[in-house]
Amino acid sequence: MTNKDIYKLDPGKIAQLLTQSSRQLDEVTLSALFNARQNALKRQSVRAPVFTLAPASAHVHWADRLVPHSAQPWVAAALLIATLIVGTGVWQHVQEQQINELDVAILTDDLPIEAFVE
Amino acid sequence: MNSFVTVQTQNYVVAVFLLLCLSIPNSASAQSWRSLTSTQREALAPVVQQWDTLPELQRHRLLETAKHYSQLTPEQKQRYHDRLEKWSKLTPEQREAARIKYRAFNKLPAKEREKVKQKLKEEHARKAQQSASGVSSSPVTNQQ
Repeated sequence: MTNKDIYKLDPGKIAQLLTQSSRQLDEVTLSALFNARQNALKRQSVRAPVFTLAPASAHVHWADRLVPHSAQPWVAAALLIATLIVGTGVWQHVQEQQINELDVAILTDDLPIEAFVE
Repeated sequence: MNSFVTVQTQNYVVAVFLLLCLSIPNSASAQSWRSLTSTQREALAPVVQQWDTLPELQRHRLLETAKHYSQLTPEQKQRYHDRLEKWSKLTPEQREAARIKYRAFNKLPAKEREKVKQKLKEEHARKAQQSASGVSSSPVTNQQ
């Protein structure tokens, strides 16, 4: 078999030839190959499977992409304060609107103002 | 790297602070009588004398009621003008009590509301008549 013939072989055939060849190896070579394989496996870092609900592509948290991790507590606190301020502002606005509607109603009702003041 | 994070953190904090500043609703600023529009002056004419001495919040609230003036009927405009001075002279507590009473009154069933309205109108007319004729308006107690 020439080098050109090897390239024509399919991978399955190559694997078969290698298996046949390995059976012809002597004990010392087999032992050396076995030890080399074991050493290679030991060096390989083992990753324990981690259970996550998110897919592997979403491993990085979305918040980390938007805001640096160190700034997140500050941003969260600021957003909380902003929500409180905006909420209070909206509540005050609604209250003021109600007061305004009541004032107009009292000032224009067919009942005299004294009916509600006294 | 550390200084980069610090600068970035500062930028975020500044950005959020600016957002906060923008989100704070503008508080009503005091308006002098001269700065009012002709429509506002027309609506608030009965309180022209005391306008500049009124507390800021009261001025703001009167200006809010004046926004409705153009939509009122001539009769309502007359009532508004007749009552405005008295209303502005009340204490904040009296105005708040009046609002509470008015709100409670409006929650009554229509039939009952009409009854109360009629009774109050009669009482008001009687008092007006008494004060016009110079008779004391103190209520007469029924001692039986």
